[in-house]
Amino acid sequence: MRGFVSRRGEFVAELDQTERTIISRVVADTSALLGVPLRLGGPDALPDPDSWARMSWSAEDVEAPTDPALARLLPVASTQDDGVAEEFRRLTDGDLRSAKTTRLRMVWDELRRPGEKLHVPKEHALDWAAALTDIRLVLAERLEIRDDDDAEAVYASTLDAEAEDDDVRSALAMLYSALTWLQESLLQVMLPTLEGPSA
Amino acid sequence: MVATTDVPVATPDFDADVAADAAAEVAADVTEHDRVWRTIVWNDPVNLMSYVAYVFRSYFGFSEEKANRLMLQVHHEGRSAVSSGTRERMEIDVQAMHSYGLWATLFQDEA
Repeated sequence: MRGFVSRRGEFVAELDQTERTIISRVVADTSALLGVPLRLGGPDALPDPDSWARMSWSAEDVEAPTDPALARLLPVASTQDDGVAEEFRRLTDGDLRSAKTTRLRMVWDELRRPGEKLHVPKEHALDWAAALTDIRLVLAERLEIRDDDDAEAVYASTLDAEAEDDDVRSALAMLYSALTWLQESLLQVMLPTLEGPSA
Repeated sequence: MVATTDVPVATPDFDADVAADAAAEVAADVTEHDRVWRTIVWNDPVNLMSYVAYVFRSYFGFSEEKANRLMLQVHHEGRSAVSSGTRERMEIDVQAMHSYGLWATLFQDEA
């Protein structure tokens, strides 16, 4: 894996086939969690228009997610007033799922292209950073990262082969750390492109 | 306009109190709806500091200095109020933060 660099108006990283396969799997898992399974390309892979219409907003109450990872992607919008939180969820749940799964789909498509280079047009860099955040939120929930100390322990465990007995947890920790590093490399090329006052 | 020296002296306090109470009542009715709403962004162990600062700059149009100051406030104090206004406006901001994977909540100031 090589982090993002700025090259001819776009951001480019390198991921080998194994890395692409593993990451595209968690991208697909995250999208499925949000209710939109990703399938191989082609027009029939697009959600049918009716399902989008149903997703936009609901006249009925929308239940808060019980899966803690999904709850992290679609969090409660008020700790002060349950009614405010419920109304917010009813009005925004569909749009948020749609925005997130559209970005995940973009990342998934790029990961499944042949070759090792990932090409991210500058105008889609924030979409990529947001999608990387969402898959890291899901992985972090699975790794039970609840505070900064937990996160540090996960990073540290990847540097010490003896630190983690559980193979699945060890693999998740490696993946989480790699995605953190990849996202940070993307941010480091994105930040200088921001316009506006610098002080 | 009347010169102050021509005004009779005795304006009873009683009247002033009544007026103040009435004004407070009207104000309470108005502020029940108009009390300011805020968007609160909460700290979490996943989001990168660089990413949070980027989102604050690109979405809210904050300067680099302001975005970094609010990002550090989230990081060190656990939360920060990043915008304020009507409930409708704050719902848009909170939805945007959720879209970017930041945890934000709506908060209405106490009366």
